[in-house]
Amino acid sequence: MLNYRFRNSPQRFCDGLTRRQMLRLGSTGLFAGLSLPQLLRADEQDKLPGKAKACIFLFLEGGPPHQDTFDPKPDAPAEIRGPFQTVPTSVPGTFFTEHCRETAKIAHKFTVIRSHSHNDNGHSTGYFYLMTGRRPNFPDGEHPIPTNELYPSLGSIVGRELGARGSVPRYINMPHPMSAGGPGFYGAEYAPFVIEADPSQPDFEVKDLGQVEGLSAERSSLRQKLLAGLERDRPRQGRAAAMSTYYTKAYDLITSPEARKAFAIQSEPREVREAYGMTQVGQCALLGRRMVEAGCRFVGIDAPGWDVHFNCFPSLQGDLIPPADRAFAALINDLEQRGLLDSTLVVMMGEMGRTPRVNAEAGRDHWSMAQSACFAGGGTKPGLIIGATDKQAAAPVADPIGVSDILRTIHTLLGIDSDKEYPDPLGRPLPIVNGGRVISELIA
Amino acid sequence: MLRNPLSTCVAVVALLMATSASAQLQVSPTTVTLDRPESSQQILVTLVTEQRRQDLTRSVEYVVESPAIVTIDREGLIHPLAEGTTRLLVKHAGGEAAIPVTVSGLVEPRAVSFLHEIQPVLTKGRCNSGGCHGKAEGQNGFKLSLLGFDAESDYAALVADARGRRLDFAEPETSLVLRKGAAQSPHGGGKKIEFGRPEYRRVLRWISEGAAYDVPTAQATVSIEVEPADVVMLAGQTQQLRVTAVDTQGHRHCVTTEADYISNAGHIIEATPRGLLTASDIPGESAILVRYMEHMAVCRVSLPRPGTNFVRPPEQNFVDAHVWNKLARLGIQPSDLADDATFLRRVYLDTIGTLPTAAEARAFLTDATPDKRSRLVDALLARPEYADYWAMRWTDLLRADKIKVTAQGTVGLNRWVHKQLVENRPYDDMVREILTVQGPVQSESPAAFFKALDAPEVASRAISQLFLGVRIECAQCHHHPSERWSQDDYAGLAGFFTGMAIKRLPDGTEAVLSRGGSDQKHPRTSLPVAARALGAAPADFTSVHDRREALAAWVTAPDNPFFASAIANRLWAHYLGRGLVEPIDDQRATNPATNEPLMQALAEHMRAVKFDLRAFTRTLLNSRVYQLASSTNDSNRDDRQHFSHARPKALPAEVLLDALCQTTGVPEKFNGWPLGVRSIQVWDNRMPSYFFRIFGRPVRATVCECERSNEPSISQALHLLNSPEINEKITHRLGTARKLAESAKPADEVIEDLFLGTLARFPTTEEKTLMREAFAGNNRRQAAEDVLWAVLNLKEFLYNQ
Repeated sequence: MLNYRFRNSPQRFCDGLTRRQMLRLGSTGLFAGLSLPQLLRADEQDKLPGKAKACIFLFLEGGPPHQDTFDPKPDAPAEIRGPFQTVPTSVPGTFFTEHCRETAKIAHKFTVIRSHSHNDNGHSTGYFYLMTGRRPNFPDGEHPIPTNELYPSLGSIVGRELGARGSVPRYINMPHPMSAGGPGFYGAEYAPFVIEADPSQPDFEVKDLGQVEGLSAERSSLRQKLLAGLERDRPRQGRAAAMSTYYTKAYDLITSPEARKAFAIQSEPREVREAYGMTQVGQCALLGRRMVEAGCRFVGIDAPGWDVHFNCFPSLQGDLIPPADRAFAALINDLEQRGLLDSTLVVMMGEMGRTPRVNAEAGRDHWSMAQSACFAGGGTKPGLIIGATDKQAAAPVADPIGVSDILRTIHTLLGIDSDKEYPDPLGRPLPIVNGGRVISELIA
Repeated sequence: MLRNPLSTCVAVVALLMATSASAQLQVSPTTVTLDRPESSQQILVTLVTEQRRQDLTRSVEYVVESPAIVTIDREGLIHPLAEGTTRLLVKHAGGEAAIPVTVSGLVEPRAVSFLHEIQPVLTKGRCNSGGCHGKAEGQNGFKLSLLGFDAESDYAALVADARGRRLDFAEPETSLVLRKGAAQSPHGGGKKIEFGRPEYRRVLRWISEGAAYDVPTAQATVSIEVEPADVVMLAGQTQQLRVTAVDTQGHRHCVTTEADYISNAGHIIEATPRGLLTASDIPGESAILVRYMEHMAVCRVSLPRPGTNFVRPPEQNFVDAHVWNKLARLGIQPSDLADDATFLRRVYLDTIGTLPTAAEARAFLTDATPDKRSRLVDALLARPEYADYWAMRWTDLLRADKIKVTAQGTVGLNRWVHKQLVENRPYDDMVREILTVQGPVQSESPAAFFKALDAPEVASRAISQLFLGVRIECAQCHHHPSERWSQDDYAGLAGFFTGMAIKRLPDGTEAVLSRGGSDQKHPRTSLPVAARALGAAPADFTSVHDRREALAAWVTAPDNPFFASAIANRLWAHYLGRGLVEPIDDQRATNPATNEPLMQALAEHMRAVKFDLRAFTRTLLNSRVYQLASSTNDSNRDDRQHFSHARPKALPAEVLLDALCQTTGVPEKFNGWPLGVRSIQVWDNRMPSYFFRIFGRPVRATVCECERSNEPSISQALHLLNSPEINEKITHRLGTARKLAESAKPADEVIEDLFLGTLARFPTTEEKTLMREAFAGNNRRQAAEDVLWAVLNLKEFLYNQ
């Protein structure tokens, strides 16, 4: 197999200009805001060792309306502005909408990218594009799990590059599989371990990890003895050997007190659970923190329901924004208190934003041209607003940040070389991220 | 005319060596001509004894009589320094060969052609590779075509784009392309050409001369040759390759330093960019793909295992003969024949996707007749599960995805395939019908397949991969980097499907039609390309209404170069766990079968049995090679590609679930299906199932067998060890464990039955002793459940050994 390494040149800016061209143009004043040291730093940031050791990715599936959350347009006409009020945040000059109540209190602890933009306006396709960085080769629509027939997802890549540590799997999805979160050609070894249960429910338990009904500890150990006795002295090769190691891991998960403890969200103090909110997304965020503490590298939380085409504002202010707002804020505060925020990257975003104008049915439709993405911890610079949309919240006014930029930045923060290549099933060398640049403003 | 380089261009020197009186030193070429400032010539030196040949290129002593004329490095590469003649002396162990050397064309060199001489530099430097400027959007505004398939646009990119700033004609050495390429200026890709080396000097000279696209004195390369083309190496040895390009005039020049080398088995033979092969200590074979511009050559390397005293096992049929031939050459001793139990379980699972029952296992194991294996093969091929199982496998490949082709379309396709298998319809007939199908998508026909292939290119890619084992998708965007297929071939093949349409019928259903059609446009030039099959002349459509008929006739013609071997390799891979060609649907000259004579014999056999898949399968199953044990010996432990032992295979998701159901005596209840329906009979590929998902059921989005994942995972292990679902089956009141526990059978017999029903074998004495511990208490029910749980979690159960 071809295994040459090619470095992707990092000094490319989002408009395809090279650094030299930028400097040339810079002298005419177009880029006067960017100093030479900043430009040079952009070069090196790609190679930073990365502070973050794990990532919690809160995916708001369906397309959260950026103008109703982190990118309000109070001066726009009502049909664009929507009914929500704008409120100040802990950062002077930064405003969110009124339902981002908890995040507004800690706006100095995270950064919002308001200029995220791409041109895939579908749900499953946009999700796939964001998770893999590859253009989907299937039409949007009901495309059930998994969509990753070929390309590995962000979580699979992070899990592979950073490797396992601790007592829980390296890549976890909850409370169901992320439909674009599969391992692609990396194979099942890099598939997410899926916690298919809602941690906000009182009877929450991880599938196949619970005590099997009617099986005493005594019987359980007898079974283990029988199995171990039968397996003894059997050399294993290839996949059967791999299966043996998974058996060991699975058995460890079942029997490991640490793993069992990590999954036991019920043991969290009541006030901590309530700080996250007793909602699915809130408790997933809390369980995500527990997973990271136990060694997980990438927690993908899928929070669905954001595809608000009809009568959107009651559900946004009731069921959607407050739980996510609370979960995200609580997660940041909690990680910070535990000294884990520096080593844990937290991202919250969806696959698209929503149309500037409220439609005839009081909803907003798909709009991937403008989106807001929230980043906290893991070596990011807090308290910033990066980029801006125009007065209708329709498109970034300058320097749109694309999917490749987001992915390259996440990998860089985690110390992963985005230009590392793996041969795809056709033998073509496939870099982890194709193109894109590190969002240097975001790096602390 | 071309000369054969090895027969006439070797200087032979007799050596006086202590160990062997007949040792010879072979040096090639016998004369060296260097006619450009940047030329080089690789010398090859081989020590030939009675037993073997050994590459000494890097260990002999080289002396140039006039050091001012040429220089030679330790790697045996000569470079010109001044015009004139001299001699190269090659000295080793008292022997000496003298090679006349002539250098010309230095004082007034002929001009450099971008097309013929700069493109190879960009390719060798990996500038135009898929990870750099060769990717679709280029890199940093500099975009080259992938591996240089589009010279005109590459020339424009270098000479004209970016306001021509990449070349500096006033001061050629400050040209950006040179400064970046040699990493004198910051270059994201790093150093790609070495300052001052011939490649660097050639680019410099090209710019100095005015950067011509082509020059009249330059000739296109028509072919390349690699030497040696077939070599036997020993562990740890090295072998230098030489690559010679032949141009339209028949002139030959050495391009060893400019070619690319790719080993298809890097763990056996490694290849460096300089063309040096290094043998590992794993015996086996490797094909080294050599690429120079768009030309390919292959060097085959064998690495036999030393010290094996090969004992040729008996032969059941031609399959064995070919495999033993190969193993004998490689010094690999095959494993012994698998025992009856292993064979029994293997042949059931492979052929009908079903485990033998305890009763079937007992009957076979206690049968003493000598021909019981071949009788079992015949019996299995006649069982209804054969059609069930293979209908499932074929509908996977024919993309019977409920979402894509509707539920009715999936059912129609599944029923049609099932019927073909029950009737054992010849495969060529079956494919002919698939390729030319028209009619309602919902009918019992293969029409749904074309509903899934919704564009001419999609159809041509899928059909090429599925039925011909040829992957042409790379050629959509660029010349295939390791094959002869170009964008013309790609568009030409798609031209057979341009008459296709999906017609909406009044009742809302759809039908596949194919009438008329026009030639497909070239993806880059937009000019129409005459429809033609791969490697064939433009198709003649004068007597057909449906263009696909012409294709179907070509595909299924007896002399089609791909069709028979593609299906033969597919079946071989299914039963033997690995294709002779791997990936199984990637046949090409540069990806040879690991046993070419066997591949040819199998294709020939497929034609001889007139594409009767059962007859062909019978041949495979009756071979001794199929029936070998999976346990290994010292000589074949590391063999992964020559079938010297059986390879354990993961059970497909559906087969595993059926096996669990049969073993526990508790069928799975599928929502909306009658109780007792087996997984391999379920046509609904989208039926939600946690089990199918974690065990890797394919979604039928491609025609690639590789879509079916057989990789293990933690979730799988957890599910088998500790899930309520499996536990329910084990403890079910109507299940096997309960029935056995409540029977009058003594504990030993219960244990025996449980082993026979899961592993298709009797327990060993030790195993029986261990299992009796479960029966030590008074609870027979729990004991039977615990033993069943333990055997179900054995790797021996989860894998087809």
